[in-house]
Amino acid sequence: MIAFERRESAGWIAQAIAYLLAIAAGLLASVVLITITGADVADGLGALWQGAFGDAEAIGQSLAAAIPLVFTGLATVVAFRAGIWNIGQEGQVFAGAMAGYWMSLQLAGAPAIVAVPAVVLASVAGGAAVAALCAVLKTRFDVNEIISTMMLNYIIVYLLSYLLAGGPWIEAGSTAYHQTPLIADTFRLPELFGLHLGAPLALLATAAVALVIGRTPLGFELRGLGFNPVALRYKGVRVATTIVMAMAISGALSALAGVSEVFGINFRLRAEVLNGLGYTGIIVGMIGALNPWGTLVAALAFGAMANGALYMSVLTDVPSALVPAMQGILLLFVLGAAVLTRYRLRFGRKDGRHG
Amino acid sequence: MQRQPVLSVRGLTKTFGPVRANDAVSFDVGAGELVCLFGENGAGKSTLSACLAGLHSPDGGEIVLNGEPVRFSTAADAIVAGIALVHQHFLLVDDFTVLENIVLGHERGLFVNYRAAEKKLRALCRRYGISVRPDARVGDLTVGERQWVELLKALYHEAAVLILDEPTATLDLQESRKLFRIIDELKTAGVALVLISHSLAEVMRSDRVVVLRQGRVVGERATSETTPQELTRLMIGREVERKHRGSSRPGRPCLDVEHVTIRRPGGAPILDDISFSVAEGEIFGLAGVAGNGQKPLMEAIAGVLPFSSGRVLIDGELLADLDVHGIQKLGVGHIPEDRLSEGLVGDFSIAENIALGSHRDVFADGHFLNRGAIRVAAAVAIADYQIAAPSAETRARALSGGNAQRVVLARELAAASRVLLANQPTRGLDVGVIEYIHDRLIEKRAAGCAVVLASSELEDLLNLSDRIGVMFQGRLMGIVDARSTSIEEIGLMMAGQKREAA
Repeated sequence: MIAFERRESAGWIAQAIAYLLAIAAGLLASVVLITITGADVADGLGALWQGAFGDAEAIGQSLAAAIPLVFTGLATVVAFRAGIWNIGQEGQVFAGAMAGYWMSLQLAGAPAIVAVPAVVLASVAGGAAVAALCAVLKTRFDVNEIISTMMLNYIIVYLLSYLLAGGPWIEAGSTAYHQTPLIADTFRLPELFGLHLGAPLALLATAAVALVIGRTPLGFELRGLGFNPVALRYKGVRVATTIVMAMAISGALSALAGVSEVFGINFRLRAEVLNGLGYTGIIVGMIGALNPWGTLVAALAFGAMANGALYMSVLTDVPSALVPAMQGILLLFVLGAAVLTRYRLRFGRKDGRHG
Repeated sequence: MQRQPVLSVRGLTKTFGPVRANDAVSFDVGAGELVCLFGENGAGKSTLSACLAGLHSPDGGEIVLNGEPVRFSTAADAIVAGIALVHQHFLLVDDFTVLENIVLGHERGLFVNYRAAEKKLRALCRRYGISVRPDARVGDLTVGERQWVELLKALYHEAAVLILDEPTATLDLQESRKLFRIIDELKTAGVALVLISHSLAEVMRSDRVVVLRQGRVVGERATSETTPQELTRLMIGREVERKHRGSSRPGRPCLDVEHVTIRRPGGAPILDDISFSVAEGEIFGLAGVAGNGQKPLMEAIAGVLPFSSGRVLIDGELLADLDVHGIQKLGVGHIPEDRLSEGLVGDFSIAENIALGSHRDVFADGHFLNRGAIRVAAAVAIADYQIAAPSAETRARALSGGNAQRVVLARELAAASRVLLANQPTRGLDVGVIEYIHDRLIEKRAAGCAVVLASSELEDLLNLSDRIGVMFQGRLMGIVDARSTSIEEIGLMMAGQKREAA
């Protein structure tokens, strides 16, 4: 009989080794998968690498693809560390992008110095409000946040669908494409070193989340909430307020992913450019071990994989759909490693009597 | 000549690790007889009933039902054999209706004949005068009504032996009377009844009393031939070593609790009009069988649990508008009953646990945690309270019970400049740590703190307290002087006898 036993905590070296082994095992399994599709493994991986890091432009695109994942990954970190299972990042990305776009309509003609901050703030407020709504449902009416955030995802995504499919936001004269008209220059995120403003914001957000979680009373409460809300209540922490704060921050971070995609890269609002950013962010945060810097690294890796996947599917027979599969495989192995660092396997008969 | 008993327990033994919860327990119950199992917390009453109802399997001895030895591996086996247990803690599915809960686990075949089941249930309700709608969702019922559902569950299966585990704990007086009317009817119908209770008023209504202490049967009496005094003596069963610890000089009143009441819809109140006052430099003991309101009382004073009416004052200041944090700032420390779930965050380090609760003021520096101050406080706590741990970064979960409790003590005694609420501070700890904690409580008393100490150890209460308040079913039965009272007197009050006016 094999038993799982909780162990105190593995040292950080042991944890690092476990994670590296998990990633190696995940890559190995991915190679097996590529082989099964009949494609040439070396060609496939080579193309993936080329597409992700082949030249300066490829690297830039990989970084750009990583930016929204940093935000949604961090959104996951903040919520999950507080023990709140927010899986509404997807909807919060959309809400952020929509609130930002709405603001750009209100401020048409405003100079960039007003327009850009206003768009970013509106978007952050939109994402935070949607997430906070689910938090209030949880704290006031005991509605499970997994259900409410998940359901709200659909509502928000289809709301955008309505606004764009012949609705008020659709580009005049276009019915084939469900998208808004191009956003005016003044609303676009300024570029720095070939990357839009989202890049420094993502870096800043990572540092800020690390600082808040590790060094502030709020972060202290977030972490405590994830471990033992009862003891927090006994020591006078306002648990409901803390939950709403955590969700609002999480939603605001997700919203930034929406802003950077719409106002930094595509310059129009349409669903395809936002699809999956939220759900991938959950994986990114988990693979980053719910640590802000780990999440940054995981987002960079995922951005590179997503970017390289396009190139790979064009150049070789490997279908690009394989990349999400690889990401899923990696997640499973990393989660396995996380469990193993917390538990140990014990072999032998379980002590027990019958009768 | 005696008739054969319906249920006969022979040398039943159940151990949990090194603890002998039941040690060679034997007793009989005849048809139409009400036998009461009487004893303190941890005497083994609930373990015994769980063994009879198939929830635990005994390690030794046998259970004989109608002359046949039986062995249950599940509760369903026991019910089929004719033994039903009415649980103290309800085992009901909130989202099911009353009817669904009652047939749960006894469905036969693919379909449940709800119509027949409902007819039978309605007949039962009529017969015993219980008004519960079969289609009501259990989650919507009051605690009192749930107790009736538990009972209906047992009646529905026409048990030959019915075990009632503290059935009146959640019932108000009127409903308790109704329960005993039903019990009388069941006796007439020839059901063998086992009543688990620590209330003497109920015990005295039985036919026979089996007194348990530390897992053993220490006495069996026909109820008509015994007195509450004798039963209490048997229950406590020991001479207490009286060595009052140090001399105290209580000063002016510090903590005032006035008419504090916590009502609960459709059930007996959790706290019923509690009033007492504790002076600075005094230890006020709270005695009572666990679950009689000590914990909610402590939590109401600390601000963790809101109360329905009444008020609490510290040094004349009303606590009404303060939350837990505000009350702590007035100089109140609270050692909660369960150190690992209520007192500490297991995955926090010792240092973080020391900071918990003061992390927004004492240990904050502007918008950030003052990590230097936390480190220093943790180092001081570890040295002062002799916490055995590799470092201040050790997680609380990794500590032994005694060391974990020292962390709670370090934090709460530092907060308690005026009032210390200590709920079972020594439970489950070894002798050395218990001594240490007692010394610290006495130090607090000497420093002029008003200390409220709840403990299930009567000796400790008698030796540490200046006065002792005894709780029973949410009420304060009386307040006695720890030096002049007898353990029997406290025992009687714990079992629900009001203190006779002196």
